[in-house]
Amino acid sequence: MKKNVVLFFLLLAGTTSIYAQQKPISPKTFKYGKIEPAEFETKVSGADSAARGIKLFDVGRCWFEVSSKTGSFVHKFERHVRYKVMNKTGYDLADFEIPLYQSTTGGSEEKLEFMDAAAYNMENGKMVVSKITKDAKFSEKKDKNRSIKKFTLPNVKEGTIVEYRYKIVSDFIFELPTWYFQSSVPTLYSEFDIVIPEYLKYKPAVNGYVPIQQIKKEQINTSYYIPSTGTSTSAGNIQATALEVKYAAENVPAIKKEAFITTVEDYISKIEYELTATQYPGSMYKDFSSSWPKIVKELTEEDKFGKFLSRNGYSKSTLPALLKEEKDPELKTELIFNYVKNNLKWNDRYGIYTSSNNPKSVFEQKSGNTADINLSLCNMLNEGGIKAYPVLISTRQNGTHPGYPLLSKFNSVIVLAEVAGKTHLLDATDKHLASDLISTENLCHQGLKVDPENQVAEWVSLEESIPSKNNIYYSLTLGEDNKLTGMLFLSYTKYAALRQRSKYTAATNEADYLKDFKKDKSGLEISNYKIENLNSPNELLTETMNVTIEDNTEEAGNLTLLSPLLFDRTKENPFKLEERNYPVDFAYPIEENFRITIEFPKSYKLEKLPANGKVKLPNNEASFTYLFATEDNKVSITSKINILKSVFSAEEYHSLKELFKNIVEKQAQQIVFKKS
Amino acid sequence: MKKLFLSTLVLISFYAKAQNTYDIDKIPAELLKDASVVERYEQQVFEIKNQSTATYTYKTAISILNKNGENASSMAEFYNRFSSIHNLKAAMYDAKGNKIKEYKSSDFKDRSAISDGSIYEDGRMKQLDFLNTSFPYTIEYSYTKEYTGITGYPSWYPVSEFGHALEKSEYIFRIPENMTFKYLKSTGLKTDSVKLKDKIEYKWSCSNIKALEYEPLSTGLRNVMPWVNVAPNQFEYDNTAGNLENWKNVGLWLNNINNDPQLLPPNVKSKVAALIAEAKTPSEKIAKLYNYLQSNTRYVSVQLGIGGFKPTAADKVASVNYGDCKALSNYMKALLKEADINSYLTVIGYDMPSMNPNFASLNQANHMILCVPLQKDTIWLECTSQHAPMGYLGEGCANKNVLLVTPEGGKLVRTPLYKPEDNFQKRKIKVDMTEQGTANIVINTEYGAAQFDDNFSMTLREPTEQRKRLMNNLGIPNIELNTISYVQPEKNKPLLKEDISLKSSQLLSKGADKLLLTLNLLNRRERVPPKMENRKTYFSVPFGYQDEDEIVYTLPKGYQVEFLPKEVVIESEFGKYTAKAVVKDNTIVYTRTQTMNNRKYAPEKYNSIVDFYKKIYQSDKVKGVLAKVN
Repeated sequence: MKKNVVLFFLLLAGTTSIYAQQKPISPKTFKYGKIEPAEFETKVSGADSAARGIKLFDVGRCWFEVSSKTGSFVHKFERHVRYKVMNKTGYDLADFEIPLYQSTTGGSEEKLEFMDAAAYNMENGKMVVSKITKDAKFSEKKDKNRSIKKFTLPNVKEGTIVEYRYKIVSDFIFELPTWYFQSSVPTLYSEFDIVIPEYLKYKPAVNGYVPIQQIKKEQINTSYYIPSTGTSTSAGNIQATALEVKYAAENVPAIKKEAFITTVEDYISKIEYELTATQYPGSMYKDFSSSWPKIVKELTEEDKFGKFLSRNGYSKSTLPALLKEEKDPELKTELIFNYVKNNLKWNDRYGIYTSSNNPKSVFEQKSGNTADINLSLCNMLNEGGIKAYPVLISTRQNGTHPGYPLLSKFNSVIVLAEVAGKTHLLDATDKHLASDLISTENLCHQGLKVDPENQVAEWVSLEESIPSKNNIYYSLTLGEDNKLTGMLFLSYTKYAALRQRSKYTAATNEADYLKDFKKDKSGLEISNYKIENLNSPNELLTETMNVTIEDNTEEAGNLTLLSPLLFDRTKENPFKLEERNYPVDFAYPIEENFRITIEFPKSYKLEKLPANGKVKLPNNEASFTYLFATEDNKVSITSKINILKSVFSAEEYHSLKELFKNIVEKQAQQIVFKKS
Repeated sequence: MKKLFLSTLVLISFYAKAQNTYDIDKIPAELLKDASVVERYEQQVFEIKNQSTATYTYKTAISILNKNGENASSMAEFYNRFSSIHNLKAAMYDAKGNKIKEYKSSDFKDRSAISDGSIYEDGRMKQLDFLNTSFPYTIEYSYTKEYTGITGYPSWYPVSEFGHALEKSEYIFRIPENMTFKYLKSTGLKTDSVKLKDKIEYKWSCSNIKALEYEPLSTGLRNVMPWVNVAPNQFEYDNTAGNLENWKNVGLWLNNINNDPQLLPPNVKSKVAALIAEAKTPSEKIAKLYNYLQSNTRYVSVQLGIGGFKPTAADKVASVNYGDCKALSNYMKALLKEADINSYLTVIGYDMPSMNPNFASLNQANHMILCVPLQKDTIWLECTSQHAPMGYLGEGCANKNVLLVTPEGGKLVRTPLYKPEDNFQKRKIKVDMTEQGTANIVINTEYGAAQFDDNFSMTLREPTEQRKRLMNNLGIPNIELNTISYVQPEKNKPLLKEDISLKSSQLLSKGADKLLLTLNLLNRRERVPPKMENRKTYFSVPFGYQDEDEIVYTLPKGYQVEFLPKEVVIESEFGKYTAKAVVKDNTIVYTRTQTMNNRKYAPEKYNSIVDFYKKIYQSDKVKGVLAKVN
């Protein structure tokens, strides 16, 4: 019965994530050191024809054994990969790194059991083998947890074939190696085979846009050698069944990075595993994260999550002085939120588990990762009588969460608070963040709200529906000396404001900020600068200043030309690729309103004005409006760009590209005055 | 009893005083101006025991005034097999100077420190980030570093960044009486020395230095801030001893540690013989062998102990065909020797200041190349590059003092200077415009020397990547790229040819009575650095260059030229600029030249270069007007 659970998940993965393909892949076998002469002639056609190297094959195998040291299951991972170096840029393929992890407590580790590598060259019709030398193997101890084994191969030139084979043994059975079917060079054949004993249940997750075939799946009979460990049982074999599954992909193109994406990890073809349950002979079935309730239970019992949330000593001692007699839930939330923002500094690390055991030591440290900060916030809110829940997140860099119960894919946490019948998202990792303004990196579309009390979890939308506005308003007079003078009003909301606030506070002082502000605005001089609501992230951020602008008009004979968008012209189309396979992800909706009014000398006549226009995407989800009006010796131009949703599908790419093409064209047009 | 009471009192008052030492209010107001960071106190003591052992003690307190100063809110010190770090202490204080956090030794991270591009080195570091939510705050840390091998002495450069002010810093340097050393210092800095028991103590200090506002194009703060460089005359490191009194001796030491027999295996010997069999002149032989090196070896850097100075032996390189700059230069030297051509390993500071002829030390270099003196001229070989044209060094190595390692010792010589006319960009563009506003554009460009270097990487990119880059870099609106080609016509010449053809679907607006044409299609100066009053630091143009652009516009049908700008000629000590547009039949021929000199300029000239750039900026964006013929 229990076995069926695993089968069900595999089946599910098989039908949903794995593409159907007409031509079945037949499994291939490769022998280390046995290179066919034809392999030296390998070429790839099409988009990858100029690739720096070709991965001829990449074959991985993962299986389990019982450790003689601990008596527990360990997994072994063996990999055999062969590349052809196509040109000098591909020499990096002759350097190889294997990262290994070691826990600081408990002695669990990943260990390299075996490694061999060689380079092969065809010289005068004969293959010459260059084995890796002893002094070309290095072990870098990065820090107390991480080390890197490094290898570099001799005698590599254009056309060389390089080959690596290695085996890792790992005590960490919660996470199996991720298998990548795709890499930065094209791959001819990639195969991953895994044999999972009946005692362990894993859930696979397949990702990417390349067809992956499951070419084998069967129950096999096997046996595991159980060593005698200390006082326990005597050594011997036990018979067991195991599930063997094999995946393969052929002729996989190289993965290439594009603009406006979350992370390339979201688009690369790979398979990942998470332990969902164990049932050892004579032990109870232990379910890990095969369902959200299980995940919630595990998190609740976790020292650095659930228990952290309930350790309320610090909150109890701090809140009375902080909240005093405050009763209003909105104001209480604000007080606590600000307290956390002002007392904890984010150390630029993400995590769903805290690094300290309780809020008290987090506040003593004065800094922490996202979990330290936001779980402390959650703890204090609950203690202060505000219902608050942690919301697990997979950040944009970490890649989109697949949606089904998979704890290991989360890497950060924020807070959802229920305040006076409304819900708010809170993220205290940056002073400039506000209620319902979480950091951009956390804008991953959805997060998992965890309710430890009721032991449930549910997905909540993190989608920002309100556009972040950037309003630019110039009121200027054009002199006969072609100098522009007047006022500039800027206002920002949401993420536009966040960005500006960060810029302002990153500067040494106001003069330094203004210098930076003027850097890409040649000819602009500023006086009477004022910024408002810098430190009130809930309010509209505004900047006002008097400006004089020189050198932004051009003279051609008796004509005076002016680009009305001045410094805010969209100069280039951000979308340059002819085709795009991935969605376009702006993270949040955007609205840019630009307006300029210019009063020009009576001696000037408007000779040429750009035409009005409006371009929009079907159903109005993105649009561009360009309007001008003229009255006596005044002209005003309005340019408005609206991007009303954060994600556009690959199918919408072309209309988006067309829209930006229009923006670039229209905004580049000039007004022409003729002097009389 | 009374005595005890008194001393307690003294202790208490001392304690109270210590508590407030780092009060931000105690910083003199003039030091806060333009500052993000104020160095409150710094002391470095370097005490030499003998030629191989020394102790370095460092203490500092730094106030971080705002977010811009956060970069200074961390501590990092490096160590390796010949040094170790002890007594790490750190604390943080709030604005009032109250201690708000003390760090434990476990808070310091210990991590590997391998430089970019290296696969392995024995360097490690101790590191700590100080994080606080509110500004200002003060950090304090100290440590001791024990040396068991020495190649250089610590220098002192207390204010090396814009926006940093300093209250007090001192460098105390103690050396045994029987040892000698040398130092270089900033002008006007006082040197104090006293004789201790068996040592002599030197001391340099400075106080109350105001922060300098950021200055663009700066060559650094050395002319305005105090500094001291100290270097050994005798040293011991990793079982070797050396004398660094002058460059000759530095060269001797380097020559002596490179004591392997440098034997080439028979197969390489016969390869060399075969390669040079047809070659007539030495330079032909060098070309053959250099080409062999470039296509058969690659750069792999491993730096361990003395291996940071001593090249891997030639026979070892021959067996693996990889190595770092020293290994590959030394291997090339062995290949040349096999062909009876003499050459010298050359120590050089890549992208570093030129070596000081009067101050010999090991820290003025970071790279090795090979010098091949021929009868008429000298050929310089960069042996780590698979692509560099023979004899071409690039701007990072050009025009500086370098040290030739010869059996007679070191010799300082100068590498070649690339003149503006060497670093050229010659471009010819044809633009055929239509009534619809579209244009077919063909761009042919030749890049020389430094500009060859700037663009060479394009030849290594995949076509899709080349397209992406060009789409980004060409400032022409609405383009579709047709063909792209990059060719280096001669392998041994730093010359690159770029040929691009493209179509712009809208270069001009459609069907209007008047069309405006930006005459300088590609090579426009888009930015002008801001002017400054009272500039303090020198500035430079990174390298001299010469650009020549010629653009021939064929007019769209039914249009004629209504206006073209006047010819512009701008000359200054920084360079020369010309721009001219003339009508010829149904075309406009636009020519532009810009020559920039490669020089370092005094601070007071800064606003003049801004004016020069501004004039270029204005001239580069002028437009011609085309009018519809009725």
